[in-house]
Amino acid sequence: MLVIKTRPRHGQWNILGTWALYRREVLRFFKIAGQTFIAPIVTALLFLAIFNLAFSGQGRSVDDIPFIQFLVPGLTLMATMTAAFANASFSLMFEKIVESIVDTLMPPMSPGELTAGYVLASTTRGLLVGLAVLAGMLLFTAVQIHSWAFIIFHAFAASMLMSVLGLIVAIWADKIDHVASVNNFIILPLTFLSGTFYSTQHLPDAFQTIAHFNPFFYMIDGFRYGFLGIHDGNLLLGVVLLTILVILFWFACVQLFASGYKLKW
Amino acid sequence: MSSKSNSLQTRSVVKSTNWRGMWTLYQREVRRYLKISGQTLLAPIVTTLLFLTVFSVVFGGGRKVGELTYIEFLAPGLLMMTILQNAFANTSTSLISQKVNESIVDTLMPPLSPFELTTGFVLGGATRGLMVAVGVGITLSVITPISIQNPSAVAFFAFNAALMMGSMGMMTGIWAEKFDHVSTVTNFIILPLSFLSGTFFPISRFPELLQMANNYNPFFYLIDGLRFGFTGQSTGSIETGIFFVIAVNILLWASCYWMLFIGYKIKD
Repeated sequence: MLVIKTRPRHGQWNILGTWALYRREVLRFFKIAGQTFIAPIVTALLFLAIFNLAFSGQGRSVDDIPFIQFLVPGLTLMATMTAAFANASFSLMFEKIVESIVDTLMPPMSPGELTAGYVLASTTRGLLVGLAVLAGMLLFTAVQIHSWAFIIFHAFAASMLMSVLGLIVAIWADKIDHVASVNNFIILPLTFLSGTFYSTQHLPDAFQTIAHFNPFFYMIDGFRYGFLGIHDGNLLLGVVLLTILVILFWFACVQLFASGYKLKW
Repeated sequence: MSSKSNSLQTRSVVKSTNWRGMWTLYQREVRRYLKISGQTLLAPIVTTLLFLTVFSVVFGGGRKVGELTYIEFLAPGLLMMTILQNAFANTSTSLISQKVNESIVDTLMPPLSPFELTTGFVLGGATRGLMVAVGVGITLSVITPISIQNPSAVAFFAFNAALMMGSMGMMTGIWAEKFDHVSTVTNFIILPLSFLSGTFFPISRFPELLQMANNYNPFFYLIDGLRFGFTGQSTGSIETGIFFVIAVNILLWASCYWMLFIGYKIKD
């Protein structure tokens, strides 16, 4: 009698499969390294140049920290977030459009393994882009390190949160247009207005309160604290909030893969 | 058999210029982006507003550029930046996607001369740049204190900027072999030039050498000219700007024409 076992050669966790998916995703963005790494460096340096030139000779500072140094962590994390989101959303979206998604869904991989493969690959891209951008900016300015723990935690948390969000958007979206809409109308505004370029203390009171409801604010704020030792919001609240959000959205991704929402029909 | 029926004339029904064909191409180019107007019209408006917010929070507080408040200085620059980026995006992506999915043949088969093709594509791209600019301009006029001092300067520089980027986008689209090439040009040439040509700060903040280089940067004249139209203030010479911009536009337009004429990377 023929017995078909769905997952014959693997144990509880298909590590080989997860690794293969992760590797494919990472190789995918390395193939266009010019776009994935050089372009964000150029963009970050442009912002740095603009702010630097526009301020030249005016000696502006935020809490006694030269504005350029204030800007470096913000620009780094912005690049990280944009890259992680872009990777997670476009990769799966693209597979859906060219209908090669079936090649990813066919192998014996559980929803958890699929989520892990995609999310970790995008997280990797986010972190690598952040490193590249930081290295690029270090050519022009110096940074100080206040707390490695905060830098590493917030870099990981931001990268992962954007990856899980990107993955959810990609699963939901029916065409590239949808992904671009979320990017232009939600992600970009939240990123720009989260205190990347300014201290939220400079905002009018009402907007300060609103800004502190923006989860992206806590990523930037905590990350900047790791470098400069200054912060606008509650750091502990940020750490807890980011952890909860990452876990919550991670399981949302697993659930979406498990239900087959917009992927299997 | 009559000689009329078996003689194949390539352009039997049209005389000198195929106006209808050109109009059709133009219309297709415009409809193409209107179909995704959320991305092509609304998104640039949101982006511009974001830039305005960020820069006014960071630079606000009574800072002045010459006789202008910073916001008055910034608004025309942002407006020009949107024209530049969107006109370029339209022709370049239109052409490269046609090339990638090989539907370019449908554009090259009809009896359209290089002149007509160039005009149709470039004007299509220019229209997008200008439409976005009108949207951004209306938004800016509501939330910032800008007014038009010299309407003809505004019209001239806006229109020429749109044409310039339409044709640059077209050349990029013809030259590129994949999307990657187009984004390379966008990220490494168009974006830096549109950021650093006096959009966000006066050129006088640049080191001497770069200020000299800017005398040959067409984007600088476009931004400066548009700012003159809105505020009556300019850094460079407006006359030089007008001549320079016209010369560059003729050159670019002729290059597009030439590329199509010889079939560079489009016919093999």
